[in-house]
Amino acid sequence: MSHPHALPAPSLLLAHRRRGLALAGFFLLLLLGGAGVSDPYTANLLIIALLFAGLAQSWNLLGGFCGQISLGHALYFGLGAYLTTLARLDHIPTLAALPAAALVGGAAAVLIGLPVFRLTGHHYAIATLVIAEAVYLLFLNWDWVGAASGLFVSYQGESWLDLSFRTSKFPYLLAMLLYAGGITALAWALSAARLGYDWRAVRDDPAAAASLGVGVHQVKLLAALLSGAGTALGGGLYAAYVNYVDPDSVMASRLSIEIALPAVMGGVGTLWGPLIGAAVEVPVSEFSRSYMGGSGQGFDLMVYGGLIMAIALFRPEGLASLLAGLRRRGRTA
Amino acid sequence: MRWRPGGRVRFFAALVLSGFLLAQSMAARAADAPDIPIGAVFPLTGNGSEVGLDAKAALETEAEIINTPHPPIPMLLGAGGGLPHLGGAKVRLIFADSQNDPQKARAEAERLITQEHVVAIIGSYTSATAATISQVADRYEIPYISSDNSSPSLSARGLKWFFRTSPHDVMFTQAMFDFFDWIGKKTGRPPKSLALIYEDSIFGADSSRVQKEMAAAAHLPIVADIRYRANSPSLSAEAERLRAAHADVLMPSSYTNDAILLMRAMHELGYQPPAIMAQDAGFVQKAFLDAVGPLAEGVMSRSAFALDAVAARPAIPAVNQRYRARSGKDLNDLTGRELTALQVLADAIDRAGSTDHEKLRAALRATDIDGKQTIMPWQGVRFDETGQNVEATPVIQQVIGGAYVTVFPPEVATHAPLWHVGE
Repeated sequence: MSHPHALPAPSLLLAHRRRGLALAGFFLLLLLGGAGVSDPYTANLLIIALLFAGLAQSWNLLGGFCGQISLGHALYFGLGAYLTTLARLDHIPTLAALPAAALVGGAAAVLIGLPVFRLTGHHYAIATLVIAEAVYLLFLNWDWVGAASGLFVSYQGESWLDLSFRTSKFPYLLAMLLYAGGITALAWALSAARLGYDWRAVRDDPAAAASLGVGVHQVKLLAALLSGAGTALGGGLYAAYVNYVDPDSVMASRLSIEIALPAVMGGVGTLWGPLIGAAVEVPVSEFSRSYMGGSGQGFDLMVYGGLIMAIALFRPEGLASLLAGLRRRGRTA
Repeated sequence: MRWRPGGRVRFFAALVLSGFLLAQSMAARAADAPDIPIGAVFPLTGNGSEVGLDAKAALETEAEIINTPHPPIPMLLGAGGGLPHLGGAKVRLIFADSQNDPQKARAEAERLITQEHVVAIIGSYTSATAATISQVADRYEIPYISSDNSSPSLSARGLKWFFRTSPHDVMFTQAMFDFFDWIGKKTGRPPKSLALIYEDSIFGADSSRVQKEMAAAAHLPIVADIRYRANSPSLSAEAERLRAAHADVLMPSSYTNDAILLMRAMHELGYQPPAIMAQDAGFVQKAFLDAVGPLAEGVMSRSAFALDAVAARPAIPAVNQRYRARSGKDLNDLTGRELTALQVLADAIDRAGSTDHEKLRAALRATDIDGKQTIMPWQGVRFDETGQNVEATPVIQQVIGGAYVTVFPPEVATHAPLWHVGE
């Protein structure tokens, strides 16, 4: 009988390394491709897609690997965005504010997890939704953070320390690439580490995991910590990029769904899922709005909604399963 | 009648030839004076899309008035046939959908500037989207014309390429206090006390804050200061407090449902304030007038637009008729402002005689339009150093005979106000 925490078999280790190489190659290709993009519209598309890839990967740590579905990630995103904005308004360098934002987001996720992880199944999802909505209402009425009018950071000149650039997009592209790549690397490393196995054990059967000596509550909290921190970091980067935050754009419940959606569309609990999901979802949403939204007839939303329904119907396990299917077919052929 | 084969050939030959000639002449004209692309960012889908689609119709109406030949309309650029100083060049509107999201508004503004090469952007209904669009416009040094964003903070950010034709919230409330001052002198019965009632939202908070500041400056005591939960099931307790305070003027900031509820609750108590001065919103909606009927008689509100001021602004009937043909609605407070924003921008482009951005900004800075040359009841259009139109003077309207008519300022008023304070 094998111990649950024993090292994986050599063939599994090899597969893990291969996956890591493929992911690294993917981000390297993006870097090379991104360096050649001079058109701001395409650059913006890449930036937003990478942001949502990183956010969805963060959500995936908790919702995918550990199986704790959160519908309140807008809260961590918003906290990161607000903290970064407030720091920038106080002339604290953005690069110093981002780690603090991640810390606050992680702490918030742990604070919420402490009582709420006692709940199971849908109860956790509903609790996160309600708490995020309550904080959203708080920010909507809190004058110190600009209430419903939001906070605006005016342009103070180009600076890497502040991640502030007049019209240049490449620095933001680089930042988002590091962000999405970093979170993915973390997910990759953990997926073969003891914590990753613990998460999957908790997801599949908490009672069985506990009987094998997994500290269920602790590993859930660790997942929440990393997931909340990653999401808040994304919120901070968003604030540096857009220079304006208000509760509706960084804390509304709609955003919680938008953070989870790429992971759900691409494949929950897989490394490639959030990346593929964001690569499909963001361009479809952006192109349809830009080239059909001007008519004002809602075609863009119909196309977007139709795509999501088609994936849900024909690929309920996510787009990443297409890749796996191809690979299987290649092997049998 | 039967077609003869030869006739058919001749007919098609003529058709092809005339089509060819038409295309030739159009191409020649286009080469003379290229179209001038102007961006417009509004919420065209999702939340706020009804307002955005009305804005689209309003801007298209004004573009049609500027571009096409038609009987002259008595206003600036009302002659039609394009921009005279640019060889009859036409303005071409390019709409983009913000979905009422600041990030998406930002991306669309950038796309309009870098891909469509627009010379200016008009927008955007909500102040949140204006905050990001105006920032992008400033970085690319392209003018942003705020047609309908009313948050005062937008023009206080030191942006060099921000121009707001519309009045902002402080100017709207200022008009109410200007009216109190004027009517007091005119009748000898000035208001001596105010009561405020406002919903617990950003709208209510902002509105009441400015009202309190201006009341203090005018030495008018506020005898009731009531904040209530928006969309309450009942406002009876609030109405009772208002009756007890018995102020000369009641100043409510409420949306439609609460406005109806408040009027009915006061009526049930047999209480009628001597005067009601509303902050637009619910009190000017058709649904409100329909629901409370005769109870609305005498209610006043501020507005940026006066549809009835046709004697002072003779262009209104022709413009409104064209807008009606497009949208099936009359021009209102928002669409009137949006339409005028394009008129002001087109005038600046025409005077600049060029689409060069620095020349266009200089022309916008030098804008000096008499209110009579627009459909708005304003004194005119002239920008201060922050880009705010300082002559966008709002009007006070009053329900007389079941509909809103303009009672102040006297230059554009169509009716004498009903004033029962101090009687």
